[in-house]
Amino acid sequence: MYGWIWRHLPGNAWVRALLSLVLVAAVVYALFQYVFPWAEPLLPFNDVTVDNQ
Amino acid sequence: MAASTDTEQQEHAGEDGPREPAARRRGPGRIVAQAVSVFGELLITAGLVMGLFVVYSLWWTNVVADRAADRQADKVRDNWAEDRVGPDGPGALDTRAGIGFLHVPAMGKGDILVEKGTSMKVLNDGVAGYYTDPVEATLPTADKEGNFSLAAHRDGHGAKFHRIDKIEEGDPIVFETKDTWYVYKTYATLPETSKYNVDVLDAVPEESGRKKAGHYITLTTCTPVYTSRYRYVVWGELVRTEKVDGDRTPPAELR
Repeated sequence: MYGWIWRHLPGNAWVRALLSLVLVAAVVYALFQYVFPWAEPLLPFNDVTVDNQ
Repeated sequence: MAASTDTEQQEHAGEDGPREPAARRRGPGRIVAQAVSVFGELLITAGLVMGLFVVYSLWWTNVVADRAADRQADKVRDNWAEDRVGPDGPGALDTRAGIGFLHVPAMGKGDILVEKGTSMKVLNDGVAGYYTDPVEATLPTADKEGNFSLAAHRDGHGAKFHRIDKIEEGDPIVFETKDTWYVYKTYATLPETSKYNVDVLDAVPEESGRKKAGHYITLTTCTPVYTSRYRYVVWGELVRTEKVDGDRTPPAELR
């Protein structure tokens, strides 16, 4: 999977390394900005109120 | 890759004689190897994503929440400062921006903005919220007996009640509004209770040992740390109120 991505990135090793970093940063950004905030309420880690539901 | 398979093949051919079985094994074998490697990479990815989620929950949400809380707290303080001059009009309290600040020296320095409601949307801004549901809180400003019940996050999103377990009986809990300091004294704690135990929010929280109506404050959050299995409850009772002076000199308990 990662090998496939690496083989399909253009340029020499340095350019590919740089592009990989950009891709990783983009994925982390997407996770922190969209995926985790969405997933968080579905996971039972942070309910603080007493509730009768 | 190709070169090594070729050599393998030749070796196999040399040992086993006929080449066909080895050649036939090569196709499915490679697909299996590829599938295993993709599966392994997916597992590693899942591990990294879970690790990132921990970083997000315990660090990033605090950064975001503290930023939001500071912004809202500044707004409240500004509002207070602006209409300091002149007599207090009967203007309605702006409950959206926050109604005041909670000071609990046992949990560390700093104030916690208090806003209306205990929905995740409110609490995720790094503030404490007063209950509107299932049992509505009685605000200290309402000037009648009741229970001022609050909730805030234990971990992440500002983690304002993280050190709730440091509060002991006798410790002060001070609520600051525009013109009054409400000084409460902790008289009971409940380190672990069911999350369905809404009785702790009652106007007279009998579980705390009190049977008569009074001015109570209740802090609730989740416990043990990093989970939401149970709830931690701290009860206090109003000792006295103090007028806020021109310099906003805090009461003796906070000095």
